[in-house]
Amino acid sequence: MSDEVSIEQLLRWRVARAGAEAPPAPRAARLLELARPWWETWPERFHLLVERLGSIQIAYGHAMAEPVDARRSGYPVPTLIVRGAEELETSVSVLYLGVRDGRLRLRFQLESVLAHTPKTFEVTFVAQGFTRPLLSTPAVLSVDREYRIDCELPEELGRNWKELKVTDRMPFRLILRSDKDGS
Amino acid sequence: MGFVWFWTFWHWSKESFRAGALLRSPLQGVGSHWDEWFRNEASPNDLALIEEAGRSESTQREFLAWLFRHWASEVPLPQGRMVPCFVAAQLAQIPPFDRWAAFEKYRTSYGAAGISAIVLTEESLGEPRDLRTVEAIALPADSTGSGLVAEGFQAEATELASAKSAAKSLLSGRGLLVFIVLWVISGRRPYARWLSHVLTSGWIATAGLILFLLVGPEPGNQLFLYSALLVALWGSLIAIAVGTVATQAWRAWRAGNALRNDLETSHVRLRMNGGLRLKGASAGLPFCLNMLLGLYYARPDAASRSWIWHRFFSAMKGETKSWAGTGVVTTSGFLLPVVLEPKLRACLRHEEIRHVLTPHQREANNRTLDELSKSSSRSAKPAPVELFPSTMQVGLAAERPQLRIHGCRHVAQAVMAMGRFGDRRRILANAFGVGVTAVMLLAAPDLRSVLLPHCAPVAVQPASPSPYYIWASLDTAHPRYFSAVLESPYWSNRRADVRPQGGLTPSVRAEIQLHRVVANTAADHEEGVVWIERRRRFLTREFLPGERVGRYSIRYLTRLGHE
Repeated sequence: MSDEVSIEQLLRWRVARAGAEAPPAPRAARLLELARPWWETWPERFHLLVERLGSIQIAYGHAMAEPVDARRSGYPVPTLIVRGAEELETSVSVLYLGVRDGRLRLRFQLESVLAHTPKTFEVTFVAQGFTRPLLSTPAVLSVDREYRIDCELPEELGRNWKELKVTDRMPFRLILRSDKDGS
Repeated sequence: MGFVWFWTFWHWSKESFRAGALLRSPLQGVGSHWDEWFRNEASPNDLALIEEAGRSESTQREFLAWLFRHWASEVPLPQGRMVPCFVAAQLAQIPPFDRWAAFEKYRTSYGAAGISAIVLTEESLGEPRDLRTVEAIALPADSTGSGLVAEGFQAEATELASAKSAAKSLLSGRGLLVFIVLWVISGRRPYARWLSHVLTSGWIATAGLILFLLVGPEPGNQLFLYSALLVALWGSLIAIAVGTVATQAWRAWRAGNALRNDLETSHVRLRMNGGLRLKGASAGLPFCLNMLLGLYYARPDAASRSWIWHRFFSAMKGETKSWAGTGVVTTSGFLLPVVLEPKLRACLRHEEIRHVLTPHQREANNRTLDELSKSSSRSAKPAPVELFPSTMQVGLAAERPQLRIHGCRHVAQAVMAMGRFGDRRRILANAFGVGVTAVMLLAAPDLRSVLLPHCAPVAVQPASPSPYYIWASLDTAHPRYFSAVLESPYWSNRRADVRPQGGLTPSVRAEIQLHRVVANTAADHEEGVVWIERRRRFLTREFLPGERVGRYSIRYLTRLGHE
């Protein structure tokens, strides 16, 4: 290269070279595929998971040794944790539930103790008795097996869940997929 | 109102809980609630004030001080002494407090350290790190109920429940009864030093008086005085001993009952850092003892009225760093054996541990400790370097390991050990007192007849059917304290004991055989009297006769019932 090349020429040359080395832009079909939610990408697996989620039976047997106000202890939400090929049936306690301005703010705590607690989960809300998911959103680890969700809520869900309390039986079950999920 | 933002958060938390948006109460879920409020609910003004409060370490400490002094006093929570520590520890884990230097010490501790549990990591042969500090705090329960929560580790709920049941039993159940029995037998008493000396002297004086009455010179008329002195002295000593035991046992039961109520209505959090998943229940003993300490931290005044509990908690609180414990504890407080050798090795290698509580099992002795100490030092030390000339001999004057094992069958024995109640002199004193008391009880009828003489008996039928005997039959239930004395110019003077007699005519009587005085022929054979005398005795010794309480002529006694 000559020493007399201007900075502008140099930059253009660098951009042209970078463009030549860059991978080709994904095709529109690929972009659409990437944007599709996981249950559309792997519908069979989703159905299997929903089936399994639906079969989880959790009910408290009141054989407590110490007095607890059952009305305040809340109901466990049946949950399926999916990490790669591993699946773990468990439940979560909803600690906080707030629906305001079309947003859902929710905190839940895992009942099971995992060997390695993931920092994030992709949470899929599945309605009781339905095979279509209601919502999918990331949950971030807060403190001690506790995760928080802050996401926009479809209008209809917002209307239905506005009056929901943490002590009510939740109208959904959860599928938690962690980052290490190979699917 | 420099920290109004905290009040704003607190009221949001309370209102959200009331409205059903939060599952946990404002106190139990304070960390989580703060995280939610701070991220989504705090106003820009609040956030600016929080940032201002965290600007420097001194302003952060100002907030902590406010939290402990003002906020805690204005939040009406009974038994809530540990509440600010709990809140500080919960907040210390989350933004922005997780970056505040002032919260550093609350990140790993509630500031309520108890005795260490010996929990071995996988494949550990006993290392100092296996001694893990356990903290227990008792928080006021709320509408979500009381409970027991493991923090920083995972354990089976039943194992924690066993430790809690044992703690309850120890506070006011069979466990307390076991403890009281142990304390009565061998426990230090709450006496001042001078009183202790006086009482010891008193027992020795009592034993001396007993010996004096048994083998000393004839007391004569002083017998009543000596007997009264003996009974008064022994009675006072017994009253003091029984009174002290009864008072302290009652106070221990009352204080224990109050603490048990606290335990039942509290939310107890057991904290042991390290994230271990416990396999086995050998940490039950330290969990149980630390729960007790947690209750004391929450409400120290509950134990202040009981010398026993106050002593135990003061000793435990002051020496938690030097104590460790291991043992599976049953719901009734008994300890079951555990793997001990690596745990003892861990204690030996730890710099601060001086006492270890273990179940009462074969390996729990000083010999094992010596062997472990030798093997540890052999494996720990490198090959010796020749520092001395070959002619110099090394004198082995190694100390015994400073660790002391306290083998316990019941958690009550652990309380005895930690409270330093055990006292060998007390065992000796008790044995001495029991011996003296046994002698006094055996001698009680004799002393009674001296101090409160029985009623004078009256001569009754039957009279002797034989002319060679005079019978003095008496209507008394205490024949061994009377005798009959014949005084006659015609018959030889004789003395006979009154005792129950059988035969055809059973009665309580003295039978006096008649022997004629050969020299005296002038006297009538019915001339003479029979005296009834009191006998004074003390166990095996009989003193000179006491007062005469009856006088009967021979004529009267021989014709009684024959008229």
